Amino acid sequence: MVSKDLERSAQNVLDNVKVDEVEVLIHRKDKALTRYANSKIHQNVGQKDFDVSIRAILGKKVGSVSTNSVDEKSLVEALRRAENIAKHQKEDPDFIGLPEPKEDRAGKGNYFKETAKYTPDERAEKVKEIIEYASGKGVDRMYGAFETETIEVLVANTNGIMKSSRMSKANLTATAIADWDNDQGFGWSEQCSANVKDIDHMNVAKTAVDKGLNNMDTESIEPGEYTVVLEPLAVNTMLMYLAMMGMSAKKVQEKRSFMNGKFGEQIMDERVNIFDDAMDDEMIGFPFDYEGVPKQRVDMVKSGIANEVVYDSYTAGRDEEDKESTGHALPMPNSMSPMPLNLMMDTGDASAQEMIEDTEKGILVTRFNYCRPVHPVKGILTGLTRDGTWRIEDGEVTQPLKNLRFTQNLLDAFSNVELIGDERVLFSLGYYPGYTSVPAMKIPEFNFTGTTEF
Amino acid sequence: MREITNYAIKKLEDSDIQYGDIRFSDILTQSIQVRNGSVETIKDNTSKGFGIRIIDKGWGFASSSVLTKKGIDETIKRAMKIAKASGKTSDGVDLKEVEIYQDKYVNDYKKDPFEVDLDEKIEYLVDVNECLDIDDQINVRTSNFKAWRFLKEFASTEGARIEQELVQCGGGLGVTVSDGEDVQTRSYPNSFGGDYSSRGYEFFEGMDLLGNAEKTAQEGVDLLKAEQCPEGKMDIILNTNQLALQVHESCGHPTELDRALGTEASYAGTSFMTPDKLGKLRYGSDIVHLTSDATAEGGLGTFGYDDEGVKAKKVDLVKDGMFVGYQASREDAAQVDVEVSGSMRADGWSNLPLVRMTNINLEPGDWSRKEIIEETDKGIIFDGIKSWSIDDKRLNFMFGTEAGYLVEDGEVKKLIKNPTYTGITYEFWRRCNAISGKDDWKLHGVPNCGKGEPPQVMRVGHGVAPARFEDVTVGVGKW
Repeated sequence: MVSKDLERSAQNVLDNVKVDEVEVLIHRKDKALTRYANSKIHQNVGQKDFDVSIRAILGKKVGSVSTNSVDEKSLVEALRRAENIAKHQKEDPDFIGLPEPKEDRAGKGNYFKETAKYTPDERAEKVKEIIEYASGKGVDRMYGAFETETIEVLVANTNGIMKSSRMSKANLTATAIADWDNDQGFGWSEQCSANVKDIDHMNVAKTAVDKGLNNMDTESIEPGEYTVVLEPLAVNTMLMYLAMMGMSAKKVQEKRSFMNGKFGEQIMDERVNIFDDAMDDEMIGFPFDYEGVPKQRVDMVKSGIANEVVYDSYTAGRDEEDKESTGHALPMPNSMSPMPLNLMMDTGDASAQEMIEDTEKGILVTRFNYCRPVHPVKGILTGLTRDGTWRIEDGEVTQPLKNLRFTQNLLDAFSNVELIGDERVLFSLGYYPGYTSVPAMKIPEFNFTGTTEF
Repeated sequence: MREITNYAIKKLEDSDIQYGDIRFSDILTQSIQVRNGSVETIKDNTSKGFGIRIIDKGWGFASSSVLTKKGIDETIKRAMKIAKASGKTSDGVDLKEVEIYQDKYVNDYKKDPFEVDLDEKIEYLVDVNECLDIDDQINVRTSNFKAWRFLKEFASTEGARIEQELVQCGGGLGVTVSDGEDVQTRSYPNSFGGDYSSRGYEFFEGMDLLGNAEKTAQEGVDLLKAEQCPEGKMDIILNTNQLALQVHESCGHPTELDRALGTEASYAGTSFMTPDKLGKLRYGSDIVHLTSDATAEGGLGTFGYDDEGVKAKKVDLVKDGMFVGYQASREDAAQVDVEVSGSMRADGWSNLPLVRMTNINLEPGDWSRKEIIEETDKGIIFDGIKSWSIDDKRLNFMFGTEAGYLVEDGEVKKLIKNPTYTGITYEFWRRCNAISGKDDWKLHGVPNCGKGEPPQVMRVGHGVAPARFEDVTVGVGKW
């Protein structure tokens, strides 16, 4: 479990409280990331940091301070500053106080010492093998990052919460840029796991290189509506934006969600089930949120019906209905909280090969780039394809295509879904830490609104 | 601070390495946000630590917040191990020679934002928030303030010793409105937090949030009933807040030499502005002059020295419409033999410096905004960032703004909602046929530019005056 020194730091703060309530949130991170470009390691970093956030509450006034100075004196000074800020605060009538202790759900551990002890040499060796494999296939431009990280988190408050957890993370990405006769082919692959020993670096390299070599000599295609087969990483992006655009209580309470006025209604195909569950065996997640509340499974879309959203203690307290926090608070104060950080989608029954074979005319998409909501409440998203796009003809992947811009209503896309893949893939969201586990999807009438030159 | 850098640099100088530097930072941040009348956030953050860069055949970087001799020793050791590991795939690293400085720099500010009474700041933001409360259709009202103080010290094995103090602040306001069918947003002076500057509290006061609150809120309400943006091709005029983003995405990022050389290929992407096009690519029309200027007064990307000790300077990127220069680090400049632009900056002490935009500016033209509108038969004025997306070579872009204004026969006729426009970067800038002059020129501060792995967020500036672009595709997508 988490080192005792974190508990001592938290207790040191709690022992000196002079206001009504106090919450202490401590993060300790040790992150290492080896980045490679043009088939050489060009950036290689190791970072250690320790961050303590203190929320001090006086009645319904909340003040916050964070610091990375963690000696006893500095922490008490930070507490005094937070208390002083609270005194200057205005009362927030919707603040109902800090959460009470509750027992966490049981789950598998997500901390592996193999990841924690992984060395710069080991990362560099794996990257070297990726580069050498690609070179052997005639690809001399490999790009990517190999990241290993451990995170310890502790939440304590004056209501008696004192809980801690730790997790590890390994994430490997690879982009292959294959050059041939003044043309370039792009290929991408990635894998993440809590245990670095699970990372199959040669499979990541092979997938990226194969895609890159098969993606040369691209053609342009006219914008318009096409059937698409979206690989899991592309689905991951759409799901992440759906969650951001409306699957939280705050968005609903502020009437900024596509779920507003639609609870209980069919908003997607009946085979679509979208949920958040940090304790699922496939997931990597802490058992509690950043307020120390146990993380619950929340079924946001059930059989295509708008079902429920995630809550933190603040949004639960001010809801018109009698709600409890679902354990989805971000580090507070936070205008983005609450947020689902362990997004999952139920699988269907089509294999990746069957999706292709079932498509007479369509487009295969590896992933999307630089997506942004155009109208969040209508669920409209724009972005571009990236690192491997092909035409599908008569059940086969044929001509590589130049990248395309899509501008698509995601609710329409998830309503039109024709096939859902029978396997899920885990991806790191890259923040907080958050993850998604999603299958591939086949969707007709996907709206492409532009093209680019590569 | 001095003790830490002196101790570390002596250790590095005594080591058998090609190059080493240490950058110590002590950062104070204050954030206040009022939401729907309640103070949602008041938070002070302090963060102290140091980062060590080493070249020993390959690059090594390690950072730590443990400010003891033991902490420094362990971090140097870690950086050295990492550098040796990098060497497994490296042919070595060359840094372009630059002038070495021993200097102190403090940016110009009048009122220290951290010395202004907390109650005064809170009361002001609450007052602004109340002024936004003009209609039942307004669901979200925000008013916010943020300030930073950076105390930095840089020392290198080449003899550089530089101390800097940077004070920056700003803020903004915004509303989200809904009538049960549609939702719209409106902000002042810009969306996503407002506007920021390397100045003191006088900059925040000068924005006059209070005086602009009601007008902004009313326009948010008006957007609900406004007509949808038309589809087709027409002239567009970009107001400064949107033009700042257009410059950021379509000139700032693609002229970062590290991107052009492929070092961001797996993450943020590359650039169509590759070194073989330098001096040859017609990027824009003859009137387009874009610069990287870390010396611009008050710019959020203004400083004395970058994070590898290079003195702040102004560099041409596009002149007379031609692509002529890059934002370049010492390492990248050595590879391509271009000028070092003094653009290397890191997000805090824990991250590696990267090529980051300073103030990427569109130099003023010889029109006025009034003249541009008067000389436009049919077009749309775009105002207030809402949505932005661009491909990974920075060619195909699509932007949406909070509000649009239809111009007909030289006059602003009406408000339109959900305005979008799209294009290909160089084709778009070649269509630029009018740029306003100095009187309309405004230096915007953007506090949230993302780049790098691990991800870094940087504060950058963009000085622009309203400009017109002919025959652009507008009204994208199905509504």
